[in-house]
Amino acid sequence: MALNLDARPILFVGGKGGVGKTTTAAALGVALAARGERVLLVSTDPAHSLGDLFERRLGEEPEVLVEGAEDGAAPGGGVLMGLEIRAEAEVDRYLASIRDAMRAFVRPALYDEVERQMALTRESPGAAEAALMERVAGLVVEGPGRWDRILFDTAPTGHTLRLLALPELMAAWTDGLLRQRDRADDAARAARVMGAATGLGGREEDVVAPRDARIERLRERLHARRRLFSQVRRALLDPAQVGFLLVLIPERLPILETEMALRTLSEHRVPVLGLVVNRVLPAEPLGDFLEARRAQEGIYLDEIRERLGGLPHVQIPLARHDVVGLSALQEIGRQLLR
Amino acid sequence: MKPSGGAPGRILALLREFYDAPHRGALARARQEEEDLFMLMVFSEMMGVPNPASYYTLELLPLIIEDFHAWHQRMGMERSPLDHIRCC
Repeated sequence: MALNLDARPILFVGGKGGVGKTTTAAALGVALAARGERVLLVSTDPAHSLGDLFERRLGEEPEVLVEGAEDGAAPGGGVLMGLEIRAEAEVDRYLASIRDAMRAFVRPALYDEVERQMALTRESPGAAEAALMERVAGLVVEGPGRWDRILFDTAPTGHTLRLLALPELMAAWTDGLLRQRDRADDAARAARVMGAATGLGGREEDVVAPRDARIERLRERLHARRRLFSQVRRALLDPAQVGFLLVLIPERLPILETEMALRTLSEHRVPVLGLVVNRVLPAEPLGDFLEARRAQEGIYLDEIRERLGGLPHVQIPLARHDVVGLSALQEIGRQLLR
Repeated sequence: MKPSGGAPGRILALLREFYDAPHRGALARARQEEEDLFMLMVFSEMMGVPNPASYYTLELLPLIIEDFHAWHQRMGMERSPLDHIRCC
């Protein structure tokens, strides 16, 4: 059986650590580019290995991995580009933008405080994840016009599921803040009509920008956030736009984790397109030791069919050598999209 | 309210002041309470209440830090309650 990806512009490749997510995503990217598609491959795993597969260094901005008629790899305008999201760099960029805002809205006496707060955030454990999420959100929202496909090579399952749950959480949070902001502003307006004092935040003359301008900007920021989060959430739940592929190997723990991921994904109503069962022993005779192994593997493959059988799945045989370089990826890609 | 001139105008203004003053106090208080709640939501993480969005909250800091000092004093804390934010 082969995978049916339809025209979904956004694909996530997920699974337990070490089962071959990156290889699968890369092979899929190579195969889709060979069909003439413009494909962007995005690695979100903090331990990036996407560049290694193509034997080159990747950065924050898309770089060409496979292009044009080079070995007939990507004819008809097809191209495969790749990038690796570096969460720390994203955090720094975010902090720099806050520093800009600070110069416009905060009087110099308070700069140190804002700086101190930024330094703390930089070290906080949630920062990298939040920054990663922001970049992924940007790609999900802006990408589909620019690319035929965006393939996300994700971190291990738990992380990915959180990434999918975050937009909903964040949208709820910004909604709450905006609602409260409305109430505060309504109350302020009522107080002003009655002529009540408005100098709530200290001496206005000391302040770089007047309070109204700051609150206006605050609203803008919150609205922009909410827009982004709800766009992402909508995209992620749209079966015409998004598909999830789960990669596993025929072993006990990956099967359990895949089952759990499947349950959570369906709870979030994220469409799962299929399974890729990696490193299945090849059909050729293998000698006593590996034949015994094959019997064990058979049990697990049965289990996969039983427990995860509702989904289309592709088996990729264990290769003789490590999968590195274009031709090895092409071979796997052909099996995925046969 | 500015008196609109003449003795009748002054009396009218005084009367209005007499009736408005208590409401004005209540409205100002309501306004402060709403502001305080907003502030608490933004700074919740620093208060030890987990905030899933604390990273995204940071960008609001330059916009509300001016109000922070007034806020914590109103909350009955003479000094900033947060180690991270020492506005005074």
